[in-house]
Amino acid sequence: MLVAGIHLSHFGAMLTFALLVSVAFACSGRRTLAMRIKYALLCFLLFLAIAVGIAWLMYPLSR
Amino acid sequence: MMPTEGSLSQSSGKQNPAVPPLIAIAAWIVPGLGHLLLRRWARALGFFLASGGLALVGLALRGEVFASYSKDPFGLLGFLADLGSGIFYLILRSVEAAAADISRASGDYGTRFIAASGIVNVLGVIDAYGIARGRRV
Repeated sequence: MLVAGIHLSHFGAMLTFALLVSVAFACSGRRTLAMRIKYALLCFLLFLAIAVGIAWLMYPLSR
Repeated sequence: MMPTEGSLSQSSGKQNPAVPPLIAIAAWIVPGLGHLLLRRWARALGFFLASGGLALVGLALRGEVFASYSKDPFGLLGFLADLGSGIFYLILRSVEAAAADISRASGDYGTRFIAASGIVNVLGVIDAYGIARGRRV
């Protein structure tokens, strides 16, 4: 059985990946719910910032 | 009878040594089940949603689910990573019988999502095992 596919942009796929992996990271080894939420937000923002930073560094290669 | 809060994870000296491996196996088979048995509700939900979400988004992106009989070393590594997601691997194998959609980049993203699902669940297995051994909280 085939499943109807979806198509995400590169940025959309990266955001989805960052969100889900950040949740998993936050669930590992953090004591309280508040600490987990803070850590998940930090991981998500770091994913985003590093991805945008790498994209910016690679921009000259695309020309 | 269900164990009381944290009773499986406390290192009281009377803990059955078979419990931590069983918790690890349960956590591998169903993401989050190990934490559920240890009564870590939020972590159980988090690992289930993260691992399951990655697997299902990977499937929807038409990613490749690696089989065990791949002769390619990268295929073997992909199989091991995919296998980490436990029951989601079996679901993906049964639902998606066709190969990955390589005509679009999203198919390749899907392959990475599915592999990440397994790796995330391995992280959950290690965490649940550590809690059951009393080395984590």
